Amino acid sequence: MRLKLVLSLATAALLFVGCADKTERIDVHNDQGGQVMALDYRDFNEAAAKSVQSMLQSGAVNKRNGDRVILAISRIKNDTMQHIDTDQLIKKIRVDLLRSGKVVVTTAIGSGDTVDAMNKKARDLRNDDEFNQGTVQKKGQLIAPDMSLSGKIIQRNITMDDGKQQVEYYFQLTLTEIKTGLAWWEGEEIIGKRGSGKSVAW
Amino acid sequence: MKKFIFASALALLMMSGCADKMDVKVVDNSISGDIDVLSVNERIQASSGLKEIQLHGENDTDEYIKLRYRIEWKDKDGFSVESLQSSWRELPVYKNAEFNIRAIAPSKEAVKYMIYINK
Repeated sequence: MRLKLVLSLATAALLFVGCADKTERIDVHNDQGGQVMALDYRDFNEAAAKSVQSMLQSGAVNKRNGDRVILAISRIKNDTMQHIDTDQLIKKIRVDLLRSGKVVVTTAIGSGDTVDAMNKKARDLRNDDEFNQGTVQKKGQLIAPDMSLSGKIIQRNITMDDGKQQVEYYFQLTLTEIKTGLAWWEGEEIIGKRGSGKSVAW
Repeated sequence: MKKFIFASALALLMMSGCADKMDVKVVDNSISGDIDVLSVNERIQASSGLKEIQLHGENDTDEYIKLRYRIEWKDKDGFSVESLQSSWRELPVYKNAEFNIRAIAPSKEAVKYMIYINK
């Protein structure tokens, strides 16, 4: 009796394991997986790549003397129904702009998480006897930004006549010259998705 | 003599055209007959010194095709230069219509490239 019970339990466990979906790692450079109504990393990749290409092609980040543009990251507003860390978009843009050799981003000034608090904290060590004052940053060393990157991600949900749902995402970015306040580059990338009305995009 | 110069010039012209298309690879053989790569133009952007490329192609079929493409950039020594362009990106191509793939090098060091086209 006991043997029968053990055997059937073992068989059930084996069947259970056999039915479970195997976890696979995604090839993030060639992901052929189905689309989702919400924003995923492929959407951020595409929006960032197109924005960087457009910025470089426009010449807005070219300084006449060949120096790099010092860029501050301003507010990137998440105006979607999803909980998005806008760094998912901005970090990709920052990395590609840095690689271009045309731009350096300052972390001394900016919005939210783009600021590295250590810039200020390290300067609070002035007059602290515990620290060798020769190694503490002198006044007037930080470099002020030339330009600022700001923007917004917008979401629009539309119910279609056939009951399907259309979700439109707008990635809007603006590059402003701080000296004049003029927007030297503006970009908008639209990603649209259409799917079941039962899908939830938030 | 005139004939020889003309033939040489023609050969040179053909060679340079072929050299351009060497930078393009259609990954999926099933679409190689559906699209034609007409030309690949390149230039150096005066203000930034970055290389700009433009592939000009044509969809020879009576159907709308959703292609994908990616661009691998390399420096003068053949070492890869990382960029967001190395991931596949969609390219809608309308029936019996021409299409362009335009890109700018991710940095001054990126001087060589390979454009991959897939379905």
